[in-house]
Amino acid sequence: MAPERTRSGRKAPERASGRLRRLLTVVPYLVRNEGTKVGDAAQLFGMSEADLLADLDLLFVSGLPPYGPGDLIDVDIQDGRIWIGMADYFGRPLRLTRSEALSLYLRGTALAGAPGLEEAPSLSSALAKLAEALGPEALGELPERVDSATDDRAVGTLSEVRRAAAEHQRLRIEYYAASGAETTEREIDPEEVFFALGNWYVAAWDHRSEAERLFRADRIHAAVATGERFEPRGLRGAGRPLYTPGVDDVSVTLRLRPDARWVAEYYETARETELGDGGLEIELPAGRLEWLDRLLVRLWPDAEVLEPPELRDRVRELAERTRDRYRDAQT
Amino acid sequence: MHPLERLVNLVALLLESRTPLTFDQIREKLAEGYGHQDVSSAKRMFERDKDILRDIGVPIEVVSTDAWDVEQGYTIDKDRYYLPEIAFTPEEISALFVAVRSAGDGSAEDAVRKLLSGVDRGILAGLGAPALMSEADPNLPAAAEAVAENRRVRFSYRTARGDRSERTVDAFGLAVRGGHWYLVGLDAGRAEVRSFRLSRISGTLELEGEGTPPPEGFRAADHVWGGPLDAEEPSITATVAFAPQVAWWAVRGVRDAETVRTRDDGWIEVRMPWPQGEPLVSWVLSFGPDAVVLEPEEVRSEVLGRLEAILGS
Repeated sequence: MAPERTRSGRKAPERASGRLRRLLTVVPYLVRNEGTKVGDAAQLFGMSEADLLADLDLLFVSGLPPYGPGDLIDVDIQDGRIWIGMADYFGRPLRLTRSEALSLYLRGTALAGAPGLEEAPSLSSALAKLAEALGPEALGELPERVDSATDDRAVGTLSEVRRAAAEHQRLRIEYYAASGAETTEREIDPEEVFFALGNWYVAAWDHRSEAERLFRADRIHAAVATGERFEPRGLRGAGRPLYTPGVDDVSVTLRLRPDARWVAEYYETARETELGDGGLEIELPAGRLEWLDRLLVRLWPDAEVLEPPELRDRVRELAERTRDRYRDAQT
Repeated sequence: MHPLERLVNLVALLLESRTPLTFDQIREKLAEGYGHQDVSSAKRMFERDKDILRDIGVPIEVVSTDAWDVEQGYTIDKDRYYLPEIAFTPEEISALFVAVRSAGDGSAEDAVRKLLSGVDRGILAGLGAPALMSEADPNLPAAAEAVAENRRVRFSYRTARGDRSERTVDAFGLAVRGGHWYLVGLDAGRAEVRSFRLSRISGTLELEGEGTPPPEGFRAADHVWGGPLDAEEPSITATVAFAPQVAWWAVRGVRDAETVRTRDDGWIEVRMPWPQGEPLVSWVLSFGPDAVVLEPEEVRSEVLGRLEAILGS
């Protein structure tokens, strides 16, 4: 919502609107779950304990006319637990707004289609209940017309990795690193598991490189708990960029023909320039070049290397080694 | 009086009142909130409060309090205010939490919180679960609105191969595939059902008038092509040898692949069904010297031809 401005130029009570929205959501929960802990409620509703207590402080002096002692909402906080009485009219939350309903339904649908999600059946039944209860007023014809394409790709060790992240268990993994085109073994402390752009990722501390790394869950071949536990370092999960630029990054410039334009959609680029003939010039940062050698052999002749020049030699060298394999195999 | 307190009192007052209340009645009952100022500034304050309430979804209605339409009263319809009871299991609520817990998308998260009140505290257990990262496509809300309301939309689109054109489409459905959202609908200019990846729309998707409804039994996901790995019925069977360090990874991505044998040098020979044509050559080449096509001969020689061409260029 765009903040309104009063005539004096002060910021209008935008803050009050956000707080009201929150209050009308948290109060019904507290009315129905007597004695909820302050900390639990704050965590559940994504607010600080101080904000929650400040909101409850105001609720305490609200109520119905004539606002005598018997008309006010009763808020009782004892030993860190909350009781709310005299507020039956706030005993049920406000309906979902249309945009809340649509965005929840879409996100639920998107995740329900993620391969290997253990919660998928619960998620689907939750969405069905939601659609039935809210009806066309909130969701229109969306429930009949939105779906996710089945994705039954194998996800390998996803459930082991999720469990390890939840329990802070260190893992020893065999990992196929696409950047170097090799399978390696290492120990990781998995902190966050999330689904992004069609793949499951694990944000973890990598003991091999002594650094924070992102691993694609489907490329983890084997995952075994080492028996050690770790203290989470607070690594960021969902919402983080999938490629973290490094200081040693090389800037690679490619000219793509139309058939190779998908590269610009698939990898993170630093620059994209339309060439007018349907082609695209892209600049992308790369920590290692092995994956690019392979990508360029695969794309030939639809991608041309502009920078760095040595990448052209690397591609030829890779093509030569690959051809030699075929010669070996023949003998 | 704190604005929040005034707003809470106003909601409570209108929810609990059996009859619509005129502004004068509201001012009298909520004297501490609206009674201190002159009538016109109190009225302005009330109008602002009303906007705030509507903005967060409180259904305030204005109705006539007499037959001649002289006086207007305000009321909140309880049926439209209260979320209906939905009997979610703790697993269902926690699955919804999993779906929305992420950076950025406040409105889906607010939605799940509203659904919490009917569920017991077992749900706290679900909070450590993974999240879906938002693709944050700016046109998704408009596309969803168009599908929900059966609208016609107009947008500028660039195909995967880079051709740009203006499209007018009757929005039939939305499908998500590989983490990307697609709008599927009747392309008016081409008189055909087409799918459009939202990330390839440039600028804003504009909603226009009513569109034609989708045919009976329509399913959006059926119209979204998923890439070479599930393009069509496999029409050839290839045998490919993989180096030990990539074999497991290569095989995992291919449906119905089966290992034929492990050679003395550790290489693994795999038989895999594959759709006819180009993609197999590109896919095998993406493994560089770690994969060698053994059969069929025409794919093998195409791979070799490509490699020779690179070396001869």
